[in-house]
Amino acid sequence: MKNWGKELVAWLDDRFGLSVIAQFLKDKPVPQHKHSVWYYTGSAILVFFVIQVVTGFMLILYYKPTLEEANASVARIMTEVPLGWIIRSVHSWSATFMIAFVFIHLFSIWLTKSYRKPREITWMSGVFLFACSLFFGFTGYLLPWDDLSLAATKVGTDIPRSIPVVGAWVTQLLRGGEDVTGDTLTRFFGIHVCILPIFLFLLLAVHVYLIQKKGMSLPLETEMNGKNVPTIPFWPNFVYREMIVWLVLVGVLFSVAVLLPPSLDKQADLMAGAPEGVKPEWYFLFLFQTLKIVPARILFVNGDTVAVLLMLLAGLLIFFLPVIDNKPTERKGKIITILGYVLVIYALIFSVWSLL
Amino acid sequence: MKLKHSLFTRRQFLNGLFSGWTAALMASLVYPVIKFIFPPYREPEEVILPFADFEGMAPGSVKNFPWGSKPGILKKNADGTFIAFVGVCTHLDCNVTYLPDQKKFFCACHDGWYDEYGTNIGGPPPRPLRRLIVEIAAPDLIIKREDVE
Repeated sequence: MKNWGKELVAWLDDRFGLSVIAQFLKDKPVPQHKHSVWYYTGSAILVFFVIQVVTGFMLILYYKPTLEEANASVARIMTEVPLGWIIRSVHSWSATFMIAFVFIHLFSIWLTKSYRKPREITWMSGVFLFACSLFFGFTGYLLPWDDLSLAATKVGTDIPRSIPVVGAWVTQLLRGGEDVTGDTLTRFFGIHVCILPIFLFLLLAVHVYLIQKKGMSLPLETEMNGKNVPTIPFWPNFVYREMIVWLVLVGVLFSVAVLLPPSLDKQADLMAGAPEGVKPEWYFLFLFQTLKIVPARILFVNGDTVAVLLMLLAGLLIFFLPVIDNKPTERKGKIITILGYVLVIYALIFSVWSLL
Repeated sequence: MKLKHSLFTRRQFLNGLFSGWTAALMASLVYPVIKFIFPPYREPEEVILPFADFEGMAPGSVKNFPWGSKPGILKKNADGTFIAFVGVCTHLDCNVTYLPDQKKFFCACHDGWYDEYGTNIGGPPPRPLRRLIVEIAAPDLIIKREDVE
């Protein structure tokens, strides 16, 4: 009887063939070099995503996605539901941490040029995952239904309108009508808890599969040295190291969540003037500031149309980066590196500027 | 198999027919989905309000009224006439606020400014506030779209 555990595992393995995966993870080498630290950013995003799923499932037990009840139900979570305030706070902060690590992950791959052949589709699926994360943040921001979230959503959903031809259609699709109303709230809730998770899981499956298929990428200079790079096995050595990082991150997350819970303003009034100090979430601030300083007209064209089209173009260029920078890995691609830094500096300066 | 003067084989013909049918079937399924996700919207042609609620407004003050799902703003001018606007910024759709001491409309989202007649005078707004026609037919106050006769 004492071996029933082993027997069960063997029985399951006989049917699922899981030992192939276990062996693969034991054999998978993780290179050790001075840029190895970036390998930890991907799993950090996953940790925060899992926390989002779990706390999201919890919040959904009390949240009510309607015009009349949304704000009050969040207020109830914050004041009446046992430990509700901390669950909402963790959900809100974990979103911030997740997106911060998405930015770091993206730029680490940009700067180490890991998107090059044969990892083009890994990068492209990553850009879609990035867009998904931002859309998660954008739809989630409206759900507490207070003055600030209403005004931010009005602006955010009106931005596509400046795109020629399809713009007005996109705005209506997002809003569920001509204006932001209770329908928008319900629609955003559906997108946030149903549509985006499905897309994100599918994209994540593609992304993670390709990372396993193509192996860990080496930075250019390490690859150019030609020497054999020392490696450690993915399982258990690398995973144990990652776990230490996860513990630290979760510790920081919970500390911040306890000390700085998110606020909740009074219920949004569709007829009231926009409140002072309307701001989107921090990761949209640089775009917000850009729209703020764009003049009403640029050479007979609506200034916002120009700005929004430029933003779309930037998004497309980032998506097609592996196609644009398809040089053989021996060449350094300095312009792309400098562009990466320029983008970071622009985002930082404009974000700080928007807070002044 | 291909007939002597035919342009394509029987296989190609059947494949084409089958793909065509499948595409038509898909289109007939996608169409209702797209129709469904866009709810109907009609902007009101006019709203009728009780004049008594607005008669006593001080000159230079404003009062909001619902214009469909948007806020409407009724303003009493210094000479006692009324003027009405759709109270959303022409930049990115935020609701504007009237500042009586400065005689200006203000949009807090991106610092947009309009004068007391709704003309855009500062910040990003590309157009004046949309005007609405005010008709007084006591006991009613009728507010109409500009293009409705």
